[in-house]
Amino acid sequence: MDLTLLINEILIRGKKKFDDLEVFVLRGKSIDLKVFQGQVDKYSIAETGGLSLRGIKNGKMGYSYTEKLDESSIDMLIDEALENSKYIDIVDGDEIYSSSRDYRELDNFYEALSLSTMEERLAFTKRMEEEAMSLDGRIKSIQACSYQEFQQERYIFNTKGLRLKDRVNGGFAYISVVAREGGDIKTGMGFRTFSGLTEVSPLEIAKEAVEEAISMLGAGSIKAGNYSILIKNTSFADLLNAFSSIFSGDNAQKGLSLLKDKVGSKVGAEIISIVDDPFMVKGYASRAFDDEGCKTFMKKIVDKGVLTTLLHTWKTARKEGLVSTGNGYRSSYKSALGISPSNFYVENGSESLKDMMTEMGEGIYITNLQGLHSGLNPVSGDFSLSCQGYEIERGKIKKPINQITVAGNFFQLLNDILRIGNDLSFSMPDSGYFGSPSILIKRLSISGE
Amino acid sequence: MLKRSVIENVLYAALSMGGDFAEIFIEDKRTGSIRLVGGLIENNLSGRDYGVGIRILDKFNCIYAYTSDSSEENLIKVAKEAGAALDSFKTDLVLNLVRRDLVENSPIIKGLSKTPKSAKVDILKRAYNAAKDYNQVVSQVTTSYLEEEQHILIANSDGLLAEDNRIRTRIAVSSVASFNGEMQQGHYAPGASMGFEFYDNVKVEDIGIEASRIAKTMVHADYCPSGNMQVIIDNEFGGVLFHEACGHGLEAAFVSKGTSAFAGKMGQVVASPLVTAIDDGTIKNGWGTTNIDDEGSLTQRNVLIENGILKSYLIDKLNGRRMGMDSTGSSRRQSYRFSPTSRMNNTFIDGGKSKLEDIIANTESGLYAKKLGGGSVNPATGDFNFAVMEGYIVENGRIIKPVRGATLIGNGTKVLELIDMVGDNLNLGQGMCGSSSGSIPANVGQPTIRVKSITVGGRKGDE
Repeated sequence: MDLTLLINEILIRGKKKFDDLEVFVLRGKSIDLKVFQGQVDKYSIAETGGLSLRGIKNGKMGYSYTEKLDESSIDMLIDEALENSKYIDIVDGDEIYSSSRDYRELDNFYEALSLSTMEERLAFTKRMEEEAMSLDGRIKSIQACSYQEFQQERYIFNTKGLRLKDRVNGGFAYISVVAREGGDIKTGMGFRTFSGLTEVSPLEIAKEAVEEAISMLGAGSIKAGNYSILIKNTSFADLLNAFSSIFSGDNAQKGLSLLKDKVGSKVGAEIISIVDDPFMVKGYASRAFDDEGCKTFMKKIVDKGVLTTLLHTWKTARKEGLVSTGNGYRSSYKSALGISPSNFYVENGSESLKDMMTEMGEGIYITNLQGLHSGLNPVSGDFSLSCQGYEIERGKIKKPINQITVAGNFFQLLNDILRIGNDLSFSMPDSGYFGSPSILIKRLSISGE
Repeated sequence: MLKRSVIENVLYAALSMGGDFAEIFIEDKRTGSIRLVGGLIENNLSGRDYGVGIRILDKFNCIYAYTSDSSEENLIKVAKEAGAALDSFKTDLVLNLVRRDLVENSPIIKGLSKTPKSAKVDILKRAYNAAKDYNQVVSQVTTSYLEEEQHILIANSDGLLAEDNRIRTRIAVSSVASFNGEMQQGHYAPGASMGFEFYDNVKVEDIGIEASRIAKTMVHADYCPSGNMQVIIDNEFGGVLFHEACGHGLEAAFVSKGTSAFAGKMGQVVASPLVTAIDDGTIKNGWGTTNIDDEGSLTQRNVLIENGILKSYLIDKLNGRRMGMDSTGSSRRQSYRFSPTSRMNNTFIDGGKSKLEDIIANTESGLYAKKLGGGSVNPATGDFNFAVMEGYIVENGRIIKPVRGATLIGNGTKVLELIDMVGDNLNLGQGMCGSSSGSIPANVGQPTIRVKSITVGGRKGDE
C-alpha cells in the first residue's frame, strides 16, 4: 500500500475513535562502510522506516508505533494508542498542532551526495586509512575507519489539516587511530560531516586523527590545583551538548532545570551569546518545521549573557502564555514528543586561539573531554570529567597531559568566561548539532597527581 | 515468522554472488513503557519493532543489510544487493536447516502482555509514593516501567535454525533532592529477564526509597577532594568498572584487530591473583541472560580471568575466524538493525573472602564509592573514567562523611593489578551497554573490592 494512502486510511479510521490524531513517519536509507587494512571490513545497507500514531481523546494523548508498514497494522495502532491514552493522568493542554503559516522554504537534500557511487565511497574510505597509516611511522593500527551516508523522509499528517513532508540527507566520515611509541599508546580521532564527497578531503580527516594521537604521546598527569583553562572549540561544543537539557522549557516546568524563572536574567558573562539556528546552511539539524509540525525560526537563547527564552513545544509554551519556539523533537517514531535544540552554538568572539593562549600565560588547554554522559549532572550543573590537553607555559604549549579530571559547575562556568575565540566549529552530530569557538575560562579545578 | 521456503530462498539468494556464509535474523518485538512524573502518568508508549537482517561473510569481510519490508520479493532483492557488494566466487550450497533445541535459562511465569496495564501503573505509583515520602528534601520523582518481548528467528547456511523469545522488564526511579538552591539526583533501576513475577520478588517501595536515599545523602554532601587514593568500590553496580575498563577489552572485536590492551596476553598474568572474572550468559532470569546468542550459538558461562590469569576472550563467529578461535556464544546485537559482534552478557568479578566491614576497617585514608554511575573506556589504551554517584570519605578505618562530584580515572590493566582486597558479597546490577552492535541489556557485578590507588577527580583540588 502506498504510504500516503496508508496514512490517510489511519487518519480516517482513527478519527472515529479519537478527537484528533497525527501520523508521524520516518523512512529512509542508510549506508555504513568500514574499512580495515585496505579491505571492506563491514558494509551495511538499510532501508527501514516506522510509523507513529498519536491521538488525543478527552485531553489525553496516547501513542503507538509500528515498523510493519501495512494495512494489517492499522487497527492495532489505533486500539493501542487509544488504550494507552486512557491511563494518562496529566491533562495539561496537550493537543494535536493545527498549522503554522509561512514555513521557510528549505532544501536539505543534496543531489550530489545521493548520486555518489559505491566505488567513490570505498575509494574515499580506503584513502582515509592509507593516509593515516602513512602520515607517521608511529601510527601502528586503525581502531575504526568508517563512512556513513543517510537519507530520510519525514511525514507529519494530522486531522487538523496538517500535511507536511520533507527529506534530508547527509554524510559522515571518521577515523580513529592508535599511535605507539615504546610502551606508550595513544589514540586520536578525526571526523567530518558533509553533503557531497568533494567537500571533504580524506587526508584532512586522517591528519586530524594522526596529529591528535602523535601529539599526545608522552603525555602525563599534572599537579592537582586550580588552573586557568582554555577549552577547545569542539570540546566546549560537547559540553554545551551535554548540558543542553537545562534550556528545555519542559525540564524547567518540572523543576529539573536551574534556569527555571531565569528568563530575562543574566546567566553568563556579557560576552557570551548562544544561538539556535534551524536555517543554518548545511547544518546537520536544519529544518523548516519541528516534529509536531510547528514552524521553526532562528533565535538567540542567550544574548550578551542574558537568557532570552527557553526552548519550547506548543504545549510547554502555552503553559507560560508563549508561542512554541519550534523545538519539538522526537528521536524516533518510537519516542514521545520532547524538546531539542537544532543547530545550537556559541557565537564567535574576536580573539584568535593564539592570542587567548598568550593572554592566559600559564594554564591548561583542554582538547578532549570524556565521560560526558556520566560525569556530569545536568540538574545541578556539576561536572567532573576525565580530559586531555596541553600544559601552557608563557603562552605556549609546553607538554601533553592526560589522566586528569576537570571539575566545576556549568552555571558558574558561564559566568567565568573571560574570552571567546573566533574559531567556531561544530562537534559530532547528536540529537542537535552543537558548535562553539574556543573559550577561555577564569579557572577550574584540575585533579591529577 | 517466515515460511521455511522463504528463509531458504533468501539464504540461496544471499550466496548467489559469492561469500561463504549467509545468515538471516528476523525480529518481531513488542515494547511498552510508562513514565510517571510527580506521580502522574505523563507518557504511555507501546509499539512493534519488526525487521529482517541479512549477513553475508566472505572470509573476514562482512556485508550486512536490513529492512523492515519482509515480503519474499523484497528480501531476495536485498539479499542479492548485499551479495553484489562482494568481489568473490559463488560457492555451491545445499541447505538442510535443522532446528536447534534450546535450554530455557529464563522461565517466565506471568506474561507481560497478559498483565493488565493497571498493575504496571500500580507498581509505579507505589514506588513513587515511597520515594516522595522518604524525606522533605525530595522535590521531584520520575518513575518509569519498561517491558519488551522479543521474538527472534535465526537461520544460516551452515544449516542452523533457531527461534527464541526474550522477555524483559525493568523499573527505574529517579529522585531529585533540593536544598539551599542546589539539586542532586539519585537513581535506581533493577530489572530481569522475567515476567511480571519480578515485582513479586522485589519490593518496589525499596527501589523508590533507595533512589531518594542517594539524592538526599548527596544534596547534603560536600565536594570530593581530588588526588590519588585508596578506593573501595562497593558490590553490585560497582562492577561497571570491570565491565568498562576490562570487559570491553576482552571482546574479540578489539582483540582480533590488535586494538585491545589484552591482545596477545592469553595465559598471562593480567590481574591481581585475587581476581577471577566471569561472563555468564546463562544465569537464571539474569538481565543479560539469553538462551542463544544473536547468531544462534548456545549462550555459555565463560571464565575470563582465573586467579589473575587471562583464560578466555568473548568471541563471535566473524572475529573468531580472524583469531582462529571458536565462538564463546557471545555474539549480540540490539536489533535487526545491527550486525552482531562480541559483547558481554552478565559479567562479574567472583566473590572473595573479605568482609565489607574489614575492608573499610583496613582502609587508612581513601574514598568509599558506594554507587558508581556510568563511564567510558578507550579499549586501545584501557583508559577509563567513571562517575561516583554516592561516595564517602574513609579515614582510619571509618566512614567519615558523604562526598559528591567524584570521578574515578585510570587504566584498566593497571587497576586490575592493584586490587588488594576482594569481598564475599557478590551481587549483580543492571545496565544498558552501548557499543558497535547497539545498546543491549547487560548485568555488571562484583563483591566489594579495594584498589590500592586510583586517581580521584573532585572539586577540592586546591586543598
